[in-house]
Amino acid sequence: MAGTPQTTTALVVLLLPLLGFLVLFMLGKRLPRQGDWLAIGLTAVAFILSGWLFWQTWNTATFHTRTTWFSLPGNSLTDFTAGILLDNLTVLMLVIVTFISLLVQLFSMGYMHGDKGYSRYFAFLGLFTFSMLGIVLVDNLLLLFMFWELVGLSSYLLIGFWFHKPAAVAANKKAFLVNRIGDIGLLLGLFAFYTYFRTFDLEALRLLIGNGVWEGGSFVTTYTLNNQEWLVELGPVFLTVAGLGLFMGCVGKSAQFPLQVWLPDAMQGPTPVSALIHAATMVAAGVYLVARCYAFFTPEALTVIALVGAITALIGALVALTQYDIKAVLAFSTISQLGYMVMGMGVGAHDAALFHLSTHAFFKAALFLNSGIIIHAMHRGLHQHHLSLDAQDIRNMGGLRKAMPLTFYTYLVAAAALVGLPLFSGFLSKDAILSGSWAWAQTMGGGLYFVIPVIGFTVVLLTAFYMARHMWFIFFGEFRAAFPVQDLRLKAGQEIEREMLLPVILLAILSLGIFFSLNPLSFGGSWLLQGISLENLSTSYILSDELVQAVIARDAANHTLHLVFGILSTLLAAAGISWAILKYKSRTAEQFLHEQPQGRLAQFSQQHFRLNEFYNRTFVQPTLRLGHQLYRIDIKVIDYVLNNGSKALVILAKFIAWVDRWVVDGLVWLVGALSKVMGRVGRGLQNGKVQSYFAYSLFGFILLMLYIILF
Amino acid sequence: MNDFILTSLIFTPLLAALVILLLPVRLHKPIKAVTLLAALVQMGLAILLYFRFDGGAAANGQMGYQFVQKLNWIGFSLGNLGRFQIDYFVGVDGVSISLVLLTGLVGVIGVISSWNITKNVKGYFLLYLLLLTSVMGCFLALDFFLFYLFFEFMLLPMYFLIGIWGGPKREYAAIKFFIYTLVGSLFILIVMIGLYTSVIDPAATAVQMGLLEQGQAASAEVLTQVQQMLQRNQISNYNLVHTFSIPAMMEPANFIPNSLLHVLSGSILWDMPLRFIAFLLLFAGFAIKVPSVPVHTWLPDAHVEAPTPISVLLAAILLKVGGYGLIRIVYPIFPDAGTYFSILVGGLGVLSIIYGAMNALAMKDLKKLIAYSSVSHMGFVLLGLATLTNEGVNGAIYMMFSHGIISAMLFLVVGVIYDRAHDRMIHNFRGLANAMPAYTAFVVVAFFASLGMPGFSGFISELLVLVGGFGAPEATGLLPRWLTIVAVFGLLLSAAYYLWALQRMFFGKFWIFPELRQNALITDLNAREYLMLVPLAVLALVFGIFPHLLLDKIGLTVNGYTEMVLLRGQEQLGLIISTLQK
Repeated sequence: MAGTPQTTTALVVLLLPLLGFLVLFMLGKRLPRQGDWLAIGLTAVAFILSGWLFWQTWNTATFHTRTTWFSLPGNSLTDFTAGILLDNLTVLMLVIVTFISLLVQLFSMGYMHGDKGYSRYFAFLGLFTFSMLGIVLVDNLLLLFMFWELVGLSSYLLIGFWFHKPAAVAANKKAFLVNRIGDIGLLLGLFAFYTYFRTFDLEALRLLIGNGVWEGGSFVTTYTLNNQEWLVELGPVFLTVAGLGLFMGCVGKSAQFPLQVWLPDAMQGPTPVSALIHAATMVAAGVYLVARCYAFFTPEALTVIALVGAITALIGALVALTQYDIKAVLAFSTISQLGYMVMGMGVGAHDAALFHLSTHAFFKAALFLNSGIIIHAMHRGLHQHHLSLDAQDIRNMGGLRKAMPLTFYTYLVAAAALVGLPLFSGFLSKDAILSGSWAWAQTMGGGLYFVIPVIGFTVVLLTAFYMARHMWFIFFGEFRAAFPVQDLRLKAGQEIEREMLLPVILLAILSLGIFFSLNPLSFGGSWLLQGISLENLSTSYILSDELVQAVIARDAANHTLHLVFGILSTLLAAAGISWAILKYKSRTAEQFLHEQPQGRLAQFSQQHFRLNEFYNRTFVQPTLRLGHQLYRIDIKVIDYVLNNGSKALVILAKFIAWVDRWVVDGLVWLVGALSKVMGRVGRGLQNGKVQSYFAYSLFGFILLMLYIILF
Repeated sequence: MNDFILTSLIFTPLLAALVILLLPVRLHKPIKAVTLLAALVQMGLAILLYFRFDGGAAANGQMGYQFVQKLNWIGFSLGNLGRFQIDYFVGVDGVSISLVLLTGLVGVIGVISSWNITKNVKGYFLLYLLLLTSVMGCFLALDFFLFYLFFEFMLLPMYFLIGIWGGPKREYAAIKFFIYTLVGSLFILIVMIGLYTSVIDPAATAVQMGLLEQGQAASAEVLTQVQQMLQRNQISNYNLVHTFSIPAMMEPANFIPNSLLHVLSGSILWDMPLRFIAFLLLFAGFAIKVPSVPVHTWLPDAHVEAPTPISVLLAAILLKVGGYGLIRIVYPIFPDAGTYFSILVGGLGVLSIIYGAMNALAMKDLKKLIAYSSVSHMGFVLLGLATLTNEGVNGAIYMMFSHGIISAMLFLVVGVIYDRAHDRMIHNFRGLANAMPAYTAFVVVAFFASLGMPGFSGFISELLVLVGGFGAPEATGLLPRWLTIVAVFGLLLSAAYYLWALQRMFFGKFWIFPELRQNALITDLNAREYLMLVPLAVLALVFGIFPHLLLDKIGLTVNGYTEMVLLRGQEQLGLIISTLQK
């Protein structure tokens, strides 16, 4: 089917990075500058086209083109379709992904300069951008799953980009496998919906769900396919489980508890990769998936989602409190923020979660790119002075704000956004989630449900503390590595390479709240938030419609509470920052250098609650042992029976051969021997003497007579 | 041309073998050239057949064979026992077309891979060509006897190819392979004879009865008339023409009343209807070939000892004969037992998936790891078939094709390192990516294709099988859902053993075991290896992105197939049970 100009353009946007990947992977080394200009140029074109698509689509229209990919012919014809769907959410993601991808590639020109695998790096980034755009653009769950896996592949390739580093290749394997666990759930969720609705198409599925009614405790819907009436009757438990299956995909990719263990290890990849993939875009794909499938979650499923999100947010923040690796702090903070987004999804604050996804993409990318600059600078300094210290350990840093002022200020802006200080973007989106969760707890009937918003507010405090601690370690106090702090700068007296300047500054600027809402103190007026609200997406009806509508209404009614939340979260953030400053202000450089987590709890936090050891002991090692045991079955049971069976057969054959030789052959021999003996006897008789012959015949005659007489 | 295309496909290699027989032993180059030419011709014919095959021709609910050639081969009267009849009967349908194409493609790759053989070149290529003929014959034969002949004939070249050109333990592996397969074919032989005594060819019987002239095409009415007369015992024994024709065996109306395997015969052995026993014997025979756990242990040994090209052929084509036999022969002839035992077939499939993958995780030898991954992947064929859904059976056939391409790649990739280092133990290598980047790229492609990465053909097949399996309780009611859910974990395990192998062998700092160093010459891929790996990688991608290329050819046949097997299965199962209750 011919598409509209918009969907065709979207297809071009999708394929441009793939083209970059193919060309660079095959010919990259032979191109001038190893082809980085090609990759960046293609991404830039994709970004510009995305901008055009955004302008065409945002709050104006949706475009959808669908075609048959392949079909299984027969009486119950099954078509597997493929298509592109452009709505507000799609174009928003499109712009974010191409924009950050472009900035990260620009940054990488400087960061990866001189690396042996320079062209391979840009090729893989192209592959990633392609797959990520695929997730965003496609209109059905099967294709989404396919791009989902491809994103996993590109993440695998990029985490293990420096494949000579053992830690990197252990990390990429772990990332892929942990993600696959989530993907199994996702796949089973897809099957559950496909089995009953005979389609993977999101729009068709949403329509079918929309047509359904709850009757006597089960969900009933009918539809016509191939002129045949189909009646589907599904229990709430089945729907909940199927929905949670889909959510499993998010748990893996968005690093939610209990599968978050792969993300900290993924920091082994080059830092721009961490910025693009493991902070801004790919890890957000899980949240995007939940948003796309929002129609399919029952209220029970949403409750589980909210709980998982809250737990993840808390764990991420708690672990980030005690990390010393500059990237580890950011990684755990990413986990924590992703937890926020998922929690937002679960509490019905669908738009707030997506809003946070967008703001987080910018400020977290800024933080990671800046940390990359710091790591590079530390490397340079350590290398120049032949020191073998860990360039990523924040205990070795300190006082960097004087040597690297630009980095300091951009880092500060992005960190303020992460902590959620007023006027910064994170303030808006985080508050939207927090007030949504409060309204949800009110709607659900209070009590224990308030645990979720309370966790949300606690995490604000923790986030403020760990980010302030982080900043203090890096930028304040005195420089603690044994070389002059000015050696962190490039030789020309510059702080960073020119190519790296623009991305960092742009991302920091975009961490300001003003870009997302004209009133940077209230999320209510945010253009972005309104654009991605449920009624502005093609999600017409959702399974938990009643609940979500109630939450939205409740949230809208909480006027004064919004003000209270804004003040409360600001106070919490201020408290966290002061706590950190008070704790670390008076420390000496020596104390910083030798700081260790104090006490059991701090150690427990620093070791990520020993989850890795736990998983290794309970899942990985037993599986490997089982593999060995099963191989022993092959050898000791199946082959043993076979070999000994064959041996027994050979023994039997030997026995038969023996019988043949000694019994059968023996009998034959016996016959021969007997006749020989007989012959010898007979030969003795025939001696040729007439007298003897006469005597024999007389003897015979007598015997004959005796016989006649006696019988 | 159309009439002889299948015959030419089968016998081109045999003809080339005759030519080679006449060539002097010393002429290595011409011998190789003739073999390559024959394989290329076979591939060309297979591709031609693929394009000419009309995927839309099979009408709904019917099995359509195309390019059929049927000739009297052996036929004589046995008096009271009727007429003995074996036909040269070949044809192609949606099930076989994919495997014919696969055989054509991999056959050429195998020759290129064999180019460096130095030991007894003439004998090697002679046997290689015999193997190609017999495999192709297997996929095209529609007469059970003819099939069996080709099936058995595969054994001979394979035995010698492993036993003479193989590794250090080649004799053990060859004899193990031989014994396993022979036992399997014995089971098949028993059932084949049983079927032969039970089934008649209605068309030939009509001729024998004088209802038709010799050579006259039989109309549907005549056939139905003969079948009805048969069921009423109105045909004298003299006129019954027994047959080995597989399509005839699929027709329950062609079974002689009160014959051993007639649905209503009520014959019982060991408390089980005889038809069930026959199904189990046939299933066992083909399951050995698939191979399914627990009769799979010949495969790792055969692979480890076989030279690279023979491993390629073994994994890519020979294993498919097992799955093909199940689809072509076992299920359509015994649909009743097929549906009755679906849980057994599907269960063994899932067992193979998980068990094979677990074993692969424990392997130290890269080739053995890949051999066990074959066991795991062939489990999907069993599972897909057992679902008897459209998706499942399409997926099973797609899996056979896709595994053919991907496993060929995998074994070639192992051959590359073995050629260079004369070793392939995983723990003897580290960081090969540093020394052999292009090679590593192909390893990554092959591994990811095999672990079901979307974009490669393996994903489509696994997806279809699993979708079919998950939907089976709704669609056909044959398999419980948990079976498929367990099978999905195979995807995780396959990722685990491949990625772990990558991590240990290819990434990290470059290192090889010191004792290997003096003989090892670690160089990247050469032109000949590119020539083999690139087309396979492209094929895996093409069939992963455009599945309709194959599914359009096989879809209608499969639809007719699943409908027929399900319908007849349930019908006949009911009859068997009610007969037994009487």
